Amino acid sequence: MQSKGKIAVLGVSITMLVMWGIITIIPLYWMIIGSFQDSYADASMKISMWPEVWSFEPFSRFFDKTMAWRWLLNSLIVSSILTVTNVFFASLAGYAFAKLHFPGRNAIFWILLMTMMIPTQVTLIPLYILVIDVFNLKDSYMGLILPSIVSVGNIFLMKQYMSTLPTSLIHAARIDACSEFGIFYKIILPMAKPGLSVLAIFSFVFHWNDFFWPLLVTESEAMRTIQVGLAGFKFADTTDFGAIMAGATVASLPMIILFFALQRYFLQGITIGAVKG
Amino acid sequence: MARVVFKNVEKEFVDGNKETFIAVKESNFTIEDKEFVVFVGPSGCGKTTSLRMIAGLEKQTRGDIMIGDRVVNKLHPKDRDIAMVFQDYALYPHMTIRENLSFGLKNLKQPKDVIAKKVKDASEVLGLDHLLDRKPKELSGGQRQRVAVGRAIVRDPQVFLFDEPLSNLDAKLRVQMRVELAELHKRLEATIVYVTHDQIEAMTLGQRIVVMNKGQIQQVASPTDLYQKPENMFVAGFIGSPPMNFIDVIYEHGKVTMEGAQFELPEHCAHALRAYEGKKLVLGIRPEHLFGEDITMGVPDTYALTSTVQVVEQLGSENLVYFRVGERMVTAKLHPDSDARVGQMKKFLLDMSKVHFFDVETEKRIPMKFMSA
Ligand SMILES: Nc1ncnc2c1ncn2[C@@H]1O[C@H](COP(=O)(O)OP(=O)(O)OP(=O)(O)O)[C@@H](O)[C@H]1O
Ligand SMILES: [Mg+2]
Repeated sequence: MQSKGKIAVLGVSITMLVMWGIITIIPLYWMIIGSFQDSYADASMKISMWPEVWSFEPFSRFFDKTMAWRWLLNSLIVSSILTVTNVFFASLAGYAFAKLHFPGRNAIFWILLMTMMIPTQVTLIPLYILVIDVFNLKDSYMGLILPSIVSVGNIFLMKQYMSTLPTSLIHAARIDACSEFGIFYKIILPMAKPGLSVLAIFSFVFHWNDFFWPLLVTESEAMRTIQVGLAGFKFADTTDFGAIMAGATVASLPMIILFFALQRYFLQGITIGAVKG
Repeated sequence: MARVVFKNVEKEFVDGNKETFIAVKESNFTIEDKEFVVFVGPSGCGKTTSLRMIAGLEKQTRGDIMIGDRVVNKLHPKDRDIAMVFQDYALYPHMTIRENLSFGLKNLKQPKDVIAKKVKDASEVLGLDHLLDRKPKELSGGQRQRVAVGRAIVRDPQVFLFDEPLSNLDAKLRVQMRVELAELHKRLEATIVYVTHDQIEAMTLGQRIVVMNKGQIQQVASPTDLYQKPENMFVAGFIGSPPMNFIDVIYEHGKVTMEGAQFELPEHCAHALRAYEGKKLVLGIRPEHLFGEDITMGVPDTYALTSTVQVVEQLGSENLVYFRVGERMVTAKLHPDSDARVGQMKKFLLDMSKVHFFDVETEKRIPMKFMSA
């Protein structure tokens, strides 16, 4: 019967999803478990799926051997500032492109979109020369932050999102003697909160995990972000698995916490992306 | 004090393909102080665009707009002394009703106690007192509509602009709000410009009505004049329900000929039509001015046409009887006791004092002096 077929389909899907979930979770599990076993100390070089002895040694070694606290701080500073600037500029620009009429609006928007078609590898060298040689920003927060202050992708996302907000509210506010910036600040931003939260979370995660650009711009140990620092640590100390795992756990912990705390917004983000191409 | 004047106002839009589209053409009218004027017309005819140009939300391409004694062409909406009620109400969703009502006054830097008093007065008038601390989404459609009106009232403007404020309400509430709006106009003593596509709303609310079609003003007149002396076939067909019937006729030697009938016209008609000797005309008659032969009401039997009844709709208060004259379907609004049956050959009498003639080419009504009844 139909219901039997339904149950079969449901059963197969659940099995597949569970398997997929296990496959996805194993590396994560291994990373966390690995950081609690001190294989370095007994020189066994072995990481088992369940430690015989629980140990916090890998963590303390990771923090002792490296400038991990400083790296975490760097990552936090860079990701936070970039989150704020991206939300601020992308929402302003998105609002302007979606709701304001000004000469050249479409032309400017198309030019911006075209820059999205160019692969980052192509612009990386000119960008590097510009930031390092011309602006002389090597090994500085400015060098880490400046190129990513706002991304075209985020502007595009915000434009799509802002155009779903009713224009009549803007008109009503204009008649209500609200200034143009006031309209943005008092009417648009509060209404756009769900979209802005999603943008903020995604920006933060993206910049926290960003690797390549921080690797290029930073030179001294003290300026590394956590991802770059961790990679350097892996190169320097290939044998200390426990500490590497501990470092990886430390680097991803904020993201894991963020995800569980703001799960609702992550799911919302998926649907926001789904509304318009 | 606050008249609204349009002088040769035009509005063009440029679409994505760089083609210009004229949304409002050569618009000229004067709305008097304290007058309630309704803009009516089919969808896309430029009503909202006209209203937005008064508000300053849309800038006219050509022409001058005056509010009061000022030319407001370059004035920002906030400086025009107007308030607007939007079709979707446009309440600020994240603010309470109180904040919605006071937002404009706060922006105008009015003192706190003045704002509080105005909000209190307006919410009492509109019966919103107990809802002031709610958010818009916690209100019913009718209550939201009142808040939208309230937000306009607290501003105490010279001119109120309404854009289809009732179209999102159910039929019963719409009738109720219509009455309330009419009362409000009396109380406020302000100029009101009201946009609707519902001709009943227009007829009941408007002291004068501006009928628009395809961006052009067709006629500006009182409801009675619109009904009795429509300027052209569009107005005649738009105002009144069911709309005016049109019948193709030929005029010759003081007589009109149509399918199923020929009759001599009264003296004054014939005089007015003398330039159309031998030409085609369109005769217009409203359904309520056609009678079944049983109720003659003093209409001379000479003005009758005979046709087969196609459809009968019984509405309770009246029967709508449909029949064909030539190509055109004609409707008669008959007494519910009339015996019209489908397929029956029936004689319909025309009230000749209510008949209009239209020029086939220009579709304009040919004016004629009626004998006073
Ligand atoms: N911003 C715009 N850009 C291009 N065309 C527009 C714009 N606004 C309105 N139009 C066009 O102008 C015409 C008149 O629009 P308007 O909104 O005034 O119609 P309306 O009479 O209010 O109709 P409705 O009863 O549907 O609200 C329409 O054909 C519309 O497509
Ligand atoms: Mg409209």
